[in-house]
Amino acid sequence: MGCLLLAVAACATRLSSPPASSPPAQSAEPSSVAELAAAIDADAKRSDHESDAKIRESLATDAGRNADACLAREPQAAACLYGRGIALGLMARAHPTHAGEFLNSMLDALAKAETVDATYQEAGPGRVRSLVLIRAPGWPLGPGDTDAGLVAARRAVVLSPLYPPNLLALAEALAKSGDAAGAKLNYSRARDAALALSAGGDREDWLRQAEQGLQHR
Amino acid sequence: MSALLAASLATLVFCAPGYPGAAGDAQPLVDQFAGAAAATSGWPAGSLAAVYDPTEEGGLAKLKGTDAVLAFVPYPFFVEHGAQLHLAPLVQADVTDVGPQQRWTLVAKAGRVTNPKSMAGYTLLSAAGYAPDFVRHSALQGWDMPSDVKIETTGQILSALRRAAAGEPVAVLIDQTQAAALPSLPFAAQLNTVIQSAELPVALIVVVDSRVPAARAKALQTGLLKMNAATGGVDSLGPLRLHGFVLPKLPPRTAAP
Repeated sequence: MGCLLLAVAACATRLSSPPASSPPAQSAEPSSVAELAAAIDADAKRSDHESDAKIRESLATDAGRNADACLAREPQAAACLYGRGIALGLMARAHPTHAGEFLNSMLDALAKAETVDATYQEAGPGRVRSLVLIRAPGWPLGPGDTDAGLVAARRAVVLSPLYPPNLLALAEALAKSGDAAGAKLNYSRARDAALALSAGGDREDWLRQAEQGLQHR
Repeated sequence: MSALLAASLATLVFCAPGYPGAAGDAQPLVDQFAGAAAATSGWPAGSLAAVYDPTEEGGLAKLKGTDAVLAFVPYPFFVEHGAQLHLAPLVQADVTDVGPQQRWTLVAKAGRVTNPKSMAGYTLLSAAGYAPDFVRHSALQGWDMPSDVKIETTGQILSALRRAAAGEPVAVLIDQTQAAALPSLPFAAQLNTVIQSAELPVALIVVVDSRVPAARAKALQTGLLKMNAATGGVDSLGPLRLHGFVLPKLPPRTAAP
């Protein structure tokens, strides 16, 4: 009954939204690195809220194409490497029978992005790495590794300590590691950090996640 | 009419403590399985529902519902709760890359655990730690651990193995899949296999408290045994990492819960 690796791959790649603004759907074909990265972000956000498997597959394909185009322009750009990681996460959701391979490649891409620019998108590479490591099925079924996830989450918080998703990721890692008090503290910090932001954007979603986390402590 | 009503309420509860998976993610897969199982067994379409719970407590709560007539449970869960819940084995799961039976392995820091008494003061960690009766009397039958050994459940087997390798007073009971992967760990040389269990079932589908009439249970058993050759059966087994089912082959002590 070492089952359900496939299903869990989906939740491992359902990630907090990055802060970049998304371009309107079906806008002109993106061409610059910034446009391609924004297009990948937009695909990820849409996929997070999409229940239709075929549409998720289409979004994953689109994100993968944009990531390839981005890397063709600037192979060492953190934005492209990070985008590649996000696109691979979408592929893992869309193709669960190959989720393990996609998740491992995703972790590799994020590690490269972190090496190039760990501060990209408020420490996005470290934060997303931590979420994959925390949520993916653990050894030996998948790449999940709570210890490594906790280290990555701590790194993200050091780099961007007031960005709520980093605090939420750290809280989740601590909870998974059995540190209930540490998890509660960081869910509180995430809530306070979100409350300090102006309304709009992802603030309400971050507040909801923090409140949910606190309720389960 | 009452028979039809009863049929429509039959639910198969997947209890999977210690394994990855959230209920929401798993639901489509167990729905598909229930539909295929009903079809191969000649049960009316839609007469068998399924629900998944990744926790011991949640699974136990769901099994209290009168519609919970069947359960898919790991063998440790069956040993721990089989007698109390009157679980009667119907078929035994044949798990992909494992088979219908598996051995459990006790692992500890090399040279530290040489006999049961040397585990005094230890904590035993395992995905099956929620089932201490299984740990002590099935997986470690004949290995009489001191009473002060704490048995705890964990989903973080890799962390547990790191703790053991680092010299903490921790031993880890791992399943066959984990044991097969153990040599690939960079710190594998710091760990020793202490003892290995006899072959034990991996998982079972059981009838709960005689809630399925004998004739329907027999039809379901027949259907499940041929499910890996039935149209649609393979498609529903694969995502659950199941190859199929065989007749139950239980060790003597749990043959009649």
